[in-house]
Amino acid sequence: MDSILAATAVRSQVSPAPARWLAVARRHAGICVAVLFLAAASVAAPSLFKAGNLANMALQFAPLGIVVVGQMLVILVRGLDLSVSSVMATSAVMATAFSGRDADLVWIVPLAIGLGAMVGATNGLLVTKRNVSPFLATLATMIVLQGARNAWTQGAPSGNVPPLLRALGAGMTAGIPNNAVALLVIAALTFVLLHLSTFGRRVYLVGGSPNAARLVGIAVDRVTITAYVMSGIFAAIAGLVLAGYVSVVDNWVGKNFELDSIVAAVMGGIALSGGKGGVGGALMGAAILVVLSNAVVIVGLPIHVQLVMKGFIIVLAAALYAAKSRRAR
Amino acid sequence: MSAATLNPAAAKASAKGLRRPASLQGHERLATVVVLLLTLLLVGALVSDRFRSLGNLQNVYEQSVGLALISLGQTVVILTGGIDLSVGSLISLLSVLTSGLIDGHPERITDVVAGILLLGLAVGGLNGLLTIWLGVHPLIVTLGTGAALQGLTLLYSSDSAGSVPPSFEFFAYGRVLGMPAGATLTLLVFLVVAFLLRGTRQGRYVFAVGGDPNAATLLGLPTRRVLVSVYAFSGLCAATTALYVVSRFGVGQPYTGANYTLASITPVVIGGTLLAGGKGGVMGTLLGVYLMALLNNLLNFLDISSHYQLVIQGVIVIVAVSAFTGRRARRS
Repeated sequence: MDSILAATAVRSQVSPAPARWLAVARRHAGICVAVLFLAAASVAAPSLFKAGNLANMALQFAPLGIVVVGQMLVILVRGLDLSVSSVMATSAVMATAFSGRDADLVWIVPLAIGLGAMVGATNGLLVTKRNVSPFLATLATMIVLQGARNAWTQGAPSGNVPPLLRALGAGMTAGIPNNAVALLVIAALTFVLLHLSTFGRRVYLVGGSPNAARLVGIAVDRVTITAYVMSGIFAAIAGLVLAGYVSVVDNWVGKNFELDSIVAAVMGGIALSGGKGGVGGALMGAAILVVLSNAVVIVGLPIHVQLVMKGFIIVLAAALYAAKSRRAR
Repeated sequence: MSAATLNPAAAKASAKGLRRPASLQGHERLATVVVLLLTLLLVGALVSDRFRSLGNLQNVYEQSVGLALISLGQTVVILTGGIDLSVGSLISLLSVLTSGLIDGHPERITDVVAGILLLGLAVGGLNGLLTIWLGVHPLIVTLGTGAALQGLTLLYSSDSAGSVPPSFEFFAYGRVLGMPAGATLTLLVFLVVAFLLRGTRQGRYVFAVGGDPNAATLLGLPTRRVLVSVYAFSGLCAATTALYVVSRFGVGQPYTGANYTLASITPVVIGGTLLAGGKGGVMGTLLGVYLMALLNNLLNFLDISSHYQLVIQGVIVIVAVSAFTGRRARRS
């Protein structure tokens, strides 16, 4: 540790100002890249930050934000959750599976959350007890769930989203989107859990060094499984919120959210190697991704450019953080 | 990674691996697939008389080409401890390019096919180079390039593009001496790759890099060249799969490769190749491909919808992966 500090001190003595700026830029690499993108976008499309579009983006922010917070928890314990999009779509389909009245929510909400928890528990158990690599375990549960959903809906779900859910997903109160309140509650809850509880400290320890965590007597498996369960539950809630936002549900609500949530998390400084990052970064990453995706449309580029852009961002951001952690070592 | 090499438990495990001949472990894994395959054939023959007809088995053999080719590339990548999640998007891109550029002109076939193969090789090589240059896990690199490739595919064409002349169908439907030409060619390719992996120095480097990359580098093996080669090979395999898909369906579609990403990993895992790298082989993968193809065929005959086939495929991956990795965990 001392030698690292000494080395840093020497380096900053050699070239003071530029080096310090570079160090700051590196620490927030993902955000720096994104801000550059944003600056370019707002020049190219001034209407990006007009009131109408801001409200639009605010509504799109909550579903992604909720998923990213869950994804962050999983990445913190050195995992990855590809099943979130499938959980979202299935919980959205559940929202339309009843008569479309508000009273159905008594069934819909527990069922959706139960499903999310079950999928998360399956992922967690596979990863911890059977030593399956996280991406393969969650990819497989994603496929299983997708097949089950398609079989259940026979390819084309029909039915209506209860009005209360639509109000939650797409409504505004005093200029603030209702779904942002849902996101805020989840984010605050997770923040408290991560930074003010022993569970949170365990999460960072497990992610930082699973072996050390095991040696000091932490139930690593239980912490890991809890992270996956929370990610599943958050994805289920996000699916309900998104169902309310789009109000017409098909089998693919939440498509690409697995990629989006990982991109947002990486941009927000959640290290894929585990143990580094927090709720603030996750939300920042999600916000930037929403604005960027929106900018693509506003600038008038074909919508598919979004996918290309996300691909570049994830590789670029991951590379910058990897370079940073190599230098720190 | 350095922690793993310092870990005494890991060292002990590898010492144990030395005492136990690797070939025996390999045979043990292959035997599992063979037993599964025979069981499936037996059960299938008992429950469905359409399944056991020789014509049907030949059809399954003929239709397994796409999965076989893409799994071949995936196996070699996984042997080095990596993974290629971009194959599905790459197949989609190359298939729309193939039919879009040929566009019904027989005289363009040679040029386009050569171009597609080179493009596949280049994109794969790029995956390898990015992994090395950026120091990012191939999972993330190929997830990113996969998304970008899917975006490019949709930018090129958001619907099926162009067409191919009837002569292009030979790869998928052609017969030589009564045997499906494409499938038999694929079988030969597997045998050649199996030989190259086991019988040549370059091939054994693949296992060495997958077994312990740090040790491989310390021994002076060309780790980087090996990595770039395997990803380039995977890209080449994606290109041949794209050509097969176009040959079979007569046109390229922008989502045609989407299911191949998971599907290409399934036979590798069933075939006993460890996801951690260093152990396994392509012949197990080929048997895994035949197993999956026969299973889907049987499910079709039993009138089980494609939705449930997806469920079954996912469950098989989970069971196979947790069976093999679970065993490894107990050993160490």
